[in-house]
Amino acid sequence: MDTIRELLGNHHRECDEFFAAIEQAIGAGDWASASARFAQFEKAMQQHFDVEESILFPAFEARTGMTMGPTAVMRSEHAQIRELMSAAAESIAAHDAEEYDGYAETMHIMTQQHNMKEENVLYPMCDQHLSAEASALIGRMRDGISG
Amino acid sequence: MQALLSYDQSPPITAPFRFFLTAPVFGVLAGLLLVWSGPNAFLSRWTPEALALTHLITAGFMLQVMLGALIQVLPVVAGANMARPLLVASLVHAAITLGGLVLPMAFLTFQPGMFIFATVCFISGGLLFVGASAWAMRGIPATGPTINGLKIAVSGLAVTIAIGVAMSLGLAGWFNLPLLQLADIHLVWGFVVWSLGLLAAVAYVVVPMFQITPSYPDWFGKQFVPAALALACLWTVLGSIGFETSAFAVGLALAVAAAAFASLTLMLQKRSKRSRFDTNQHCWRVAMVSILAAISLWMASAVIPAVAEWPGWPLLCGVLLMFGGFVSVITGMLYKIVPFLAWLHLQNRGQGVLLAPNMKKIIDEQAMKRQMISHFAAGTLLVLAVFLPESARPAGVAVAVSQAWLLRNLWSAVRVFREHCRKIEMKRAKP
Repeated sequence: MDTIRELLGNHHRECDEFFAAIEQAIGAGDWASASARFAQFEKAMQQHFDVEESILFPAFEARTGMTMGPTAVMRSEHAQIRELMSAAAESIAAHDAEEYDGYAETMHIMTQQHNMKEENVLYPMCDQHLSAEASALIGRMRDGISG
Repeated sequence: MQALLSYDQSPPITAPFRFFLTAPVFGVLAGLLLVWSGPNAFLSRWTPEALALTHLITAGFMLQVMLGALIQVLPVVAGANMARPLLVASLVHAAITLGGLVLPMAFLTFQPGMFIFATVCFISGGLLFVGASAWAMRGIPATGPTINGLKIAVSGLAVTIAIGVAMSLGLAGWFNLPLLQLADIHLVWGFVVWSLGLLAAVAYVVVPMFQITPSYPDWFGKQFVPAALALACLWTVLGSIGFETSAFAVGLALAVAAAAFASLTLMLQKRSKRSRFDTNQHCWRVAMVSILAAISLWMASAVIPAVAEWPGWPLLCGVLLMFGGFVSVITGMLYKIVPFLAWLHLQNRGQGVLLAPNMKKIIDEQAMKRQMISHFAAGTLLVLAVFLPESARPAGVAVAVSQAWLLRNLWSAVRVFREHCRKIEMKRAKP
């Protein structure tokens, strides 16, 4: 059976691939493709944040009673990543490769260290505490991030 | 579980930064020492100058960054929050900085008092750091290869310091020890279990993460650092009880394992999805190639008599491993960690008031690239100095310049950080 860690961890990797594709398009000077790829990346990221914030985190908080714990930190990091993502979107719209590079790099590392905390600490905790309802949760989250 | 309640506890920025900014000072000192000593440093690995230089790089430059990075990374990677990180960082930093300065002086002067002073510094700094990190990591299950690798690496540091301390007291005349044999054990534990163990544990995370490559294979991640630890233990025991041939075979296996790590990292980097190489990637690549070259040379010295007889091989091996390998990879890592941490802290301070400058505005990309080239040039001159000792002084100048440049680049992050903090305060005062 799938675990929460596998499902969302694999989706992190998928988002990374979308992110790399934007860089490649910009490297090739193809701004139309860069915008399209950025839109694809942004959509996947938003879907990921949405399933966590509306499905996973509330379930974890309800089960453990920890509302100001790890999920609060993850929500605030999501906000920071969203801020960087919109700054990166503006530089894509302005066709400014240097500016994009700066925001993209920052967003990339911010996202990666955030993913690491989720994959090493939060998701295993979710798998442990939410084992009874895991398959229903996984099903809903899979729908949320696919398509 | 308790650790998670303080999940977001990133240590204050001055905790890791004091280590990161001190490291290049040791690098500059190493360069200046080489200028002062000239060809003497390249006569043999046992000259006072060579020993002092080696320890300026290992117990100075490398140790500073490795401990500073661990203090930063333990909460993120392992959810292990150190109690009172700023206090631990201040004390550990003070102890290893003093020890790192006095130990090379002890080698240069052979004053027993200096060896004893350095010993006290490394014992106290080492015990405090190992104790604080072991306490933070207690009860944290080794869920992945990184956490397991970090635990093993820190135990390797403890053994390295313990042997170093014993040798230092031996040199101070406290007791009679087989120093040459101990030196090799100290070196294997320091370079393989501690340094390469830490590098591998970090690499499992940062190579796929920064460079968007496939992950290290599961079996490799699980086996490499524990295998290196087991082989190092076996090698130490066999060597100590006089089983030379078996110890040699185990040593060879250890070298093969280390080479496998470096080769695998290069192979993964080849599959990076990032469209162009940045400073970090160049530094990693040069470091892995240098480490491979050092291992090949060591193996050649073990099986080809002509190489074994060449007095320059241990020096070349040391230059490749320390300067080409660890100093390069650490430089590349500093150029990611320092701007990111500055950004993260500015972002948290200025929330809702002022947007933090992005990483590339904290340390300029071109400045990093140029410094990196100067570092590679210094490394090339050091290699040359092994063959032509008269080029030791120019190599020393190059090392001092490239390390001063590194300090300047890192310092520019501190300058941007301070300026931005002032701006945030002004905005808060007069919205």
